[in-house]
Amino acid sequence: MAISIGIVGAGTMGAGIAHIAALNKCTVSLYDINEEVIRRSVERINFEMKRSVDKNKISDDDMKQALTRIKKRTNINDLDTCDIIIEAVLEDLRVKKDLFKKLDQIAHHTAILATNTSSLSITSIASATKKPERVVGMHFFNPVHLMKLVEVVKGVRTSAETITQTIAIAEKLGKKTIVTKDTPGFVVNRVARPFYTEALKILSENVTTVEEIDRIVKKSGGFKMGPFELMDMIGNDVNFSVTESMFQQFFNDARFQPSHIQKQLVEAGMFGKKTKQGFYNYEEK
Amino acid sequence: MRKQIKSEKIKVKKRPTAKHKLQTENSKPVELKQLVCLLGNEALVKEYSAAFQEKGIAVQELKNLASLKTSAKKITAAFELTLESNGQKKKNLQAFDETLPEHVPIISSSLTETILSQSHLLKHKHRFIGIAAFPTLLAHPLVELAPSIHTSKEIADVVTALFESIKKETAMVQDGVGMVMPRILCQIINEALFTVQNDVATPKEIDDAMKLGTNYPHGPIAWGEMIGFANVVAVLDALFQSHHEERYKVAPVLRQMAIAGIFWKKEA
Repeated sequence: MAISIGIVGAGTMGAGIAHIAALNKCTVSLYDINEEVIRRSVERINFEMKRSVDKNKISDDDMKQALTRIKKRTNINDLDTCDIIIEAVLEDLRVKKDLFKKLDQIAHHTAILATNTSSLSITSIASATKKPERVVGMHFFNPVHLMKLVEVVKGVRTSAETITQTIAIAEKLGKKTIVTKDTPGFVVNRVARPFYTEALKILSENVTTVEEIDRIVKKSGGFKMGPFELMDMIGNDVNFSVTESMFQQFFNDARFQPSHIQKQLVEAGMFGKKTKQGFYNYEEK
Repeated sequence: MRKQIKSEKIKVKKRPTAKHKLQTENSKPVELKQLVCLLGNEALVKEYSAAFQEKGIAVQELKNLASLKTSAKKITAAFELTLESNGQKKKNLQAFDETLPEHVPIISSSLTETILSQSHLLKHKHRFIGIAAFPTLLAHPLVELAPSIHTSKEIADVVTALFESIKKETAMVQDGVGMVMPRILCQIINEALFTVQNDVATPKEIDDAMKLGTNYPHGPIAWGEMIGFANVVAVLDALFQSHHEERYKVAPVLRQMAIAGIFWKKEA
């Protein structure tokens, strides 16, 4: 049976989820307040699928069929028939709670309400609804069509049935799942934190340079990317705010202490690749 | 002033030839036959021994200090690979320094105690250099070295050349506990065990998640087991000692695993 998936927020993550859902024969209602955002989002999905066709990963026909399954929605009430609604808007608790309150009113009474948050509390978001047992975390990784993992996050009041159904849906989307408790950073963002924070700490102690730390981590640890290259790619603004948020949520535990070096880069507007300057300079000469 | 000398030593500009050469009387260079001696942590001695022998460099695995005297004149580099800074390591280093000719480099694991601290009471401080010798890392193409403020440029060059002869690049970092890769790695493993401790997910799920979600080469808990949890704890405790910062506190379950030597089991 075809699953009907609603996606709220047509940014990078929303587009990625729509992409894999459509390819895996789900009907997709892609919602955003801004029509222009949806248009660009579908354009990006088109572009990414074209690349998969060029690499012979999917056929031209797969792509055409998938694109017909994506419906552009600018009226949130049109998500009322979805089996699951996945939220992928900005990481702001107030915004998400308001949104879930609204989704709770319009969604079908058996629908699952999932949030793609990477750093906020599922339990807190769920508290804005009358059916917290139907609210779950579904944490996808960027780029969604390439990263195999989904963290299924169990809020304090999420039901076992919701978890089982969410795992089945994630598997239908071609993902592997792990189930985690609703604690800050879940598993991946939490365990990966020292990869960034300890590298920054080593840099702050002048043990060696940015370039050397990246070279050492890749060539003596076998990691694909060095921590500073990766922070520049993620964006120092995003990476810093995740660390800061986890530091606060762990009640200022020193293990999650953010770095002044990264804070200053953020203050200077040196976010990394997207601003052409970060730990490295990406300006074309 | 000191700082300047130090930074000059740390830069490895010149890449000397792989084999270390001596000038004879008729000034025809002859190659000195390499003999590397190894002592300390059993797993590390095995890894280093295999890496050198594979590239045709003779190795002497020392069982104890008594066997050092007989071959002392033939040894061209000596490795002390005990991870923990204990009494035995101190004895080994002192014996190396007293027995081996003055030009022979002594390369010592400096993850739990700086090479400066290890060598500062010994006679020939200039020939000691620290190394990030940590189980599993020698499988990769780069070796981290840490000279102390006393380490001579000649010694750093000879050790760099020795590693080049077995196709390893080197990185020179400042002499600090944990150096770079082991320090980051131990903190990742520690956080993975805090996550187990808090029952956020099972050890297997945590390892799977890190491999799939971040493309780590190994799951952190399985990696910790390969390294030896006791070795991970030794580095973290040394970081705590050197920094007095709460960020290096060890997850209680990690400490238990280090003592019991077994993988944590949820059902137990």
